[in-house]
Amino acid sequence: MGLFDGIAQGFAVALDPINLLYVFAGVLIGTVIGVLPGLGPTATIALLLPLTYTIEPATAVILLAGIYYGSMYGGTITSVLLRLPGEAASVVTTFDGYQMAKQGRAGPALGIAAVGSFVGGILSVLGLMLLAPPLADLAVSFGPPEYVALTALGILLVTYLGSGTPLKSLSMAALGLLLATMGQDPITGTTRFTFGSVALFDGLDFVAVAMGLFGVGEILHSLERTEKVQAVTKKITHIWPTRKDFKDSSGAIARGSVLGFVIGVLPGGGGVISSLASYALEKRRAKDPSRFGRGAIEGVAGPETANNASSTSAFIPLLTLGIPANVVLALIFGALLVQGVTPGPQLITEEPEIFWGVIASMVVGNVMLLALNIPLVGVFVQLLRVRAGILAAFALLVTMAGVFSVSNDSFDMWVVLVFGVIGWLMKKTGFEPGPLVLAFVLGEIMERAFRQSMLLSGGSLDIFVTRPLSGGLLAVMAAVVVLSLVMARRRRAAFRQVDPEDEFGREDGTGPVEGEPGLSAEPATGRNARHTSDSTDSDAASTPGER
Amino acid sequence: MRSLRLLTALLVTAAALAGCAEDSSSVAAADYPSEDIRLLVPYTAGGPTDIAARAVGAHLEGELGRPVVVENLPGASGATAYVEMISAEPDGYTLSMTALPTAVLNYLSNDVGYTREDLAPVGVVTQVPSGIVVPADSPYQDVESLFEAARQDPQAITVGTPGATNTHAAETRRITQLYDIPLTVVPFEGNSEVQTALLGGNVSAGFANLSQDLLPAIEAGDLRVLAVGTEERLDYVDAPTFVEAGYPELVQSTTTFGVIAPAGTPEEVVATLEDALRSAGEDEAVVEALDPRYVPEEFLGSADLAALFAETEETFRGVVGD
Repeated sequence: MGLFDGIAQGFAVALDPINLLYVFAGVLIGTVIGVLPGLGPTATIALLLPLTYTIEPATAVILLAGIYYGSMYGGTITSVLLRLPGEAASVVTTFDGYQMAKQGRAGPALGIAAVGSFVGGILSVLGLMLLAPPLADLAVSFGPPEYVALTALGILLVTYLGSGTPLKSLSMAALGLLLATMGQDPITGTTRFTFGSVALFDGLDFVAVAMGLFGVGEILHSLERTEKVQAVTKKITHIWPTRKDFKDSSGAIARGSVLGFVIGVLPGGGGVISSLASYALEKRRAKDPSRFGRGAIEGVAGPETANNASSTSAFIPLLTLGIPANVVLALIFGALLVQGVTPGPQLITEEPEIFWGVIASMVVGNVMLLALNIPLVGVFVQLLRVRAGILAAFALLVTMAGVFSVSNDSFDMWVVLVFGVIGWLMKKTGFEPGPLVLAFVLGEIMERAFRQSMLLSGGSLDIFVTRPLSGGLLAVMAAVVVLSLVMARRRRAAFRQVDPEDEFGREDGTGPVEGEPGLSAEPATGRNARHTSDSTDSDAASTPGER
Repeated sequence: MRSLRLLTALLVTAAALAGCAEDSSSVAAADYPSEDIRLLVPYTAGGPTDIAARAVGAHLEGELGRPVVVENLPGASGATAYVEMISAEPDGYTLSMTALPTAVLNYLSNDVGYTREDLAPVGVVTQVPSGIVVPADSPYQDVESLFEAARQDPQAITVGTPGATNTHAAETRRITQLYDIPLTVVPFEGNSEVQTALLGGNVSAGFANLSQDLLPAIEAGDLRVLAVGTEERLDYVDAPTFVEAGYPELVQSTTTFGVIAPAGTPEEVVATLEDALRSAGEDEAVVEALDPRYVPEEFLGSADLAALFAETEETFRGVVGD
């Protein structure tokens, strides 16, 4: 099927009244949960997953994708107005967006974020249309060794680019890999760590683990929060940015689109990383970096564009290789599997209505979001008045009912509760659930692929380096590791040069480090100087919604 | 307030007692069915077994005049559903779909909480044959040349199968055991992954069900079938049988989907269900929903399915679990 036939078919699917309704529902839910602090896209999708089992697979993905990129728009609103990121990817927006709001420029900040998100989203959809089909053709030749390399790269990147400290991320990824070994051995079929229980034969259910760690963990965590959200009373005006605003931010939007797209495609990419990377890039390029953190419009435009672009391009590895790039995509992967659709290289040819329908729906959804966001910002802000207690109880109820409906097994409900408590403890201690969940999903793929590779090669490890694709991917991995070690050493050296006792205002002592966007982008300018650079690194993005 | 609480407690107790009373009273088999029937599906909603179950369930509902509730209990290659079924009263109100030989291989290789003795077969719904497939550009034109290559170089031939514990892996190992042909089994997850591995040239051959998802690639010429695992040729696949190719024992790879009840279900009840199932094969709408290619020409009832269970167990006992 040609590109244009595909696009035409896609719009035929996306413009179907039912699907239009679901796109609208998706982006609306996405915006709302983006606004509500604590309830991010991951928790929401995890909660709504069981409801999608009865609808058409294409419609299900259209809905879930809408929630995902809708939340990227919605998260901006509270970041700007209250310095309270609605979801993790909008943490960066608090830096300059809130400052703009304090200067009375909340309108343009929200306006440029919506415009940037729209541009980033649309450009990313175009990239997806052009890149995914050839990539899928290439992906057919991907064998087990390539999958081993890809999943290993994904786990490496998610721990390394993650927002927590590398050691904590790594330990969580390791835990995820261990949990993935529970259940039947993928090659011999014998059981491992099932403790004689038939309920554990297939290992822990991924949906239950994710719903526990993200959904219930977040609910428990939110109940501890005592601070009250101060109601926004000031009327927001001048949402459509001025010509000067556009001029100032057009470069940031263009760069953010490209950067977001590229990072989204990488396994482990998407969301937070792309917005942090864009912020770092903009700050570095700026003639006067000190403006950042004091209401620079580029600091809002770039990251907001990048996070939306990455949330779209993150669909590429899932739809072409069957590898989820991040946790949200892992949930969508789960939704497709339950529907009997296995995402992989064959998806575009065998289920074109899913592939092209979802892509076309993204265009429709982004247009809807632009139309929704600019005039309705005031309405969404009112949502913050809903009491956290009511929301939490309702969400918990939906979670428990939802997880039971996945396989009608009450055992899964216990899994959710246990992992909910674990997730809550992890949040309190600064461990991120992201690497754990992604390693848990990828671990299963990786183990199977590794053992298949060993069967194919007759037990020789050479198979990973002699095949050009897997060899190349492993080389990239080695480069990332070496680069990060070198950078870490340089950074330590730089720290030693400055007065070690002066921990105030040293945020620029090292300069932005390339390849480590998450660590260098932290703008301490807008922060309390009590934080050292190191401590702000880890808590800024891992506990969104707390400040 | 206190009286309200007391009332609630009383109501709960009463309800519990009522529940007990109903459980202990056994419904006479002659009245069967006088209640709703649960039909468990050991696989996820939307899959082939689920679709078959819903078609059969709707038919049974029409024949028996009581609602048939289809319930998905996926997990542990079917064991979750079978264990749930055998824990229910053997009164014909809790039934399950089953897939052979997986249901047998499962308890042969692991302690899953049931064996053949716990099940009362009702009848066969569909039978999906299997075959050895290769990519279109494969150098192997027939099954003999594929096996010859394996004899020449024991590392040469890798066979992708849609799972680790299903028929195909076990049947491939049986080829190695019976005929001394060294084949490396590479288990994948599902037919579509096997198909991708074949098209990408990552395995030499695949052994899989010739189900609706694989047939389009065969009809389009992307995949070639070297041999099918049935006793006689299939009219919708142009390939010889293993028997014709000189391997008369390789007839155990067909997947049989059937209906089972817990052991101890009264014979009259099983007979009622068997009759209802038999008439499904004559109902055009049901046959269409099941795919006419897979509905057996002659109905296989309780005794036939029981024989199939015994035969499958006999065949694979020495192949798995070692």
